[in-house]
Amino acid sequence: MRIGIDVGGTHTDAVLMDGLSIISSHKALTTPDVRQGIIEALDTVMSEAQAAPNSISAVMIGTTHFTNAVIERRELSETAIIRACLPTGSGLPPMCDWPGDIAAALGNHGYMIRGGHLFNGKPIAELDEVEIEKVIDDIAANNIKDIAIAAAFSPANAAHENQIAEKVRQKLPHANVSLSHEIGRLGILERENAALLNASLGDLAQRVVSNMRAALTERRINCPFYVSQNDGTLMSADYIARYPALTFSSGPTNSLRGAAILSGIDNAIVVDIGGTSSDVGVLADGFPRESNSHIAVGGVRTNFRMPDILPIGLGGGSLVQKDGESIGPRSVGHRLVTEGLVFGGTTITATDIAVANGSCELGDKSLVSHLDAELVALATKTIHAMIDDAIDKMRPSEDPVPIILVGGGAILISRQLETASEIIHPQHADVANAIGASIAQVGGEVEHIVSYSRIPRDEAMVSATKEAEEKAIAAGADETSLRVLDVEETTMSYMDDDAARIRVKVVGDLKQAK
Amino acid sequence: MKKIGAEHIKDLCAGAAFLATGGGGDPYVSQLQAERLLEKFGPASLLAPADVPDDFFVVSVGMVGAPTVTLEQLPTEDEAISALEKYEEITGKKVDAVIPFEVGGGNSTIPLFVAAMKGIPCIDGDGMGRALPEAQMMTFPIYGAHPTPAVVMDSFGNHVLLECDDAHSFEVEIRARAVEMGGMVSSAEHGMPGDLVRLSTIPGTISFATALGKLLRNHGGQIDVVQPQLFKLFKESDYGVIKHLFTGKVLDSQRKIIGGYDVGTATLQSFEDPNEKMSLFIKNEYLVAKVGDKVVASVPDLICIVEQETSRSLNAERMCYGQRVSVFGIGCTHHYRTPEALKVTEPRAFGFDLDYVPLEEID
Repeated sequence: MRIGIDVGGTHTDAVLMDGLSIISSHKALTTPDVRQGIIEALDTVMSEAQAAPNSISAVMIGTTHFTNAVIERRELSETAIIRACLPTGSGLPPMCDWPGDIAAALGNHGYMIRGGHLFNGKPIAELDEVEIEKVIDDIAANNIKDIAIAAAFSPANAAHENQIAEKVRQKLPHANVSLSHEIGRLGILERENAALLNASLGDLAQRVVSNMRAALTERRINCPFYVSQNDGTLMSADYIARYPALTFSSGPTNSLRGAAILSGIDNAIVVDIGGTSSDVGVLADGFPRESNSHIAVGGVRTNFRMPDILPIGLGGGSLVQKDGESIGPRSVGHRLVTEGLVFGGTTITATDIAVANGSCELGDKSLVSHLDAELVALATKTIHAMIDDAIDKMRPSEDPVPIILVGGGAILISRQLETASEIIHPQHADVANAIGASIAQVGGEVEHIVSYSRIPRDEAMVSATKEAEEKAIAAGADETSLRVLDVEETTMSYMDDDAARIRVKVVGDLKQAK
Repeated sequence: MKKIGAEHIKDLCAGAAFLATGGGGDPYVSQLQAERLLEKFGPASLLAPADVPDDFFVVSVGMVGAPTVTLEQLPTEDEAISALEKYEEITGKKVDAVIPFEVGGGNSTIPLFVAAMKGIPCIDGDGMGRALPEAQMMTFPIYGAHPTPAVVMDSFGNHVLLECDDAHSFEVEIRARAVEMGGMVSSAEHGMPGDLVRLSTIPGTISFATALGKLLRNHGGQIDVVQPQLFKLFKESDYGVIKHLFTGKVLDSQRKIIGGYDVGTATLQSFEDPNEKMSLFIKNEYLVAKVGDKVVASVPDLICIVEQETSRSLNAERMCYGQRVSVFGIGCTHHYRTPEALKVTEPRAFGFDLDYVPLEEID
């Protein structure tokens, strides 16, 4: 059996899973140290199922802890960035577009040195050992131990980043080093930002991981534990201390993955309707479709692998206005249970409409019996049209798609949706995140820039796939279960016809300890 | 003289993205760079083409190459100005002002910071009034400026002097140099005296793009709300003609790279009548728009597309199913309406078998 845990800002949810069956689930409050919340959730699911600690083969944890630390600028370490790019790139130094408060939180330690590569694989400049040593001495003099390293075109050629890292580790053996090519994609500004945020979370990640481990050890659960990443795959607990930033949007990802398991459908649109807003995301082969645009985390532009999520201002607490023609984005939020009509309040909310039109039984139905039938009909139509519209913006083509509804506000939807081939309201949707974490797989991804005139396309694909497989195995995948999840090929304009960027992503089941 | 400073750059970039007609790449890097350099060196002076004295010598500066390369190979502070200084050194001519190639994408901002750094004015105008993919499509050579001597500079300070017979061979040469020299180069080219600047420049486009971007950004909302002011702005400008061509959603967008260009088609579907569809033909920029079988706008007139809810311009590379958009046709300025200009910019110059019909003559 496995345990999935979702450590959110407010709640810590846990589920005990046997294969794809849910044995027990529990919602507890998140505690500042993370540990106590996990223990409470663990105790409840274990005792409900009367499960022994040694019957648990793996624990998977999803958390928004690191995203919140960046957004709130707390518990971030002073961090240095070494960027190998000179003589190019001096016009836009590291952190030049960061909000002042977070740049200050990291201490503004930016260094540019000679190095990096061109698109055609040639070095921009050779690394200069003396220059590197001077930078490392300066970092040491400033007493900084968290260090990000970036080099131009490192996703295509990581040699310079690796060589600089080696020098850093020789001189500063206890340094926490983040290499940009292991974290972000093409686009050096965004990639080095990602590496910087990752490095700055190093200390916090160590503490959180040891608290998570302590919680499990206290309950004598000694199996391996994993943390889920943005793309719906897992990393082992030792990895998370090195790559905390890869968890930044694991929340929505786990919700999407959980919805896939709960519904048994791998290709669908998932609508997660909360109290104030709804998130619409796309499941493709059981994984979230990724966003292609830059995503700011705490005001810092990054190019992480993140799910493509469309948020809209419609939730259970959204205000009904203009006789039902307009709903939201203003919402009573968590005050729904006192302010909504069915709960004895005086505000007409989307939830009141759902009760009045018979979609659900909630609160006191007689308190909405006075509502004008036309208003209820129009508001019902507006709610469905808003969801329909959002789904249409996200679906991959004109064809109707299966819609999976999760979240407390899912009760708002009771009628047909034009965009839907079917509508699924799965059970246990309130713990979809923890379920999503529990079933996550292990993946590996590589991105190469190739010239097909030098390397034939087939050969380039095979070599990229092999490298991605090696990464997945290194991350803990069972090599017999590996499959290619996604191949992305982008030709580059204004270059010779044969230059292309290829990205291959491979996933596999978690290799279980025998 | 008007001034343009760091605080105007976001507006200028938003306006230039609109006039880029779907091309121009991601302007983020050039926007950041312009903001930093204008902050550091102070605002640039904008000189109206009509006020350029005869004895002024004006050179066009900008970057040529693959926008994707700049994602990794970020600029230095002085690449573009070095190209210009090398130009002065080689030709022995003092440059009195600089001018942008185009008012679309990153090339709209480069001459501004070069001007600020060098303490000379930047001409408030450009050689396209929009974005177009090739050098011979610029109004400078069309109206008699010679593209060379041109100095092409890479990020390492290596330079090449180009001497070419005409703008076509210049285009071929500089494109080849860009690939060889790291994928992106700076170029100082099309040196011309004051009278030729007045003749060949599309005037006022830098301040126009800034005002346009301000309008689009300030509202930050639905294009329907902005539309009356948008129409007024264009009607009172040298473009003169603006038409709302279509509102609908993107059904399909297919593109591939042919000969170094992003070539493809896209289909939009009307909200009012699902059977009414617009087809767009793309070669880096939106070049031809049809509703059903009827051409409703074609190059060199501008086809500009914005996202309906945000009024943000939609780059052709970012177009995908489900986006809600409004399409506008904008008349090119009179510079592109002569037989010589049309010869290199009409649909046939891009391989489309159709005649150019001016936007205002299409019902």
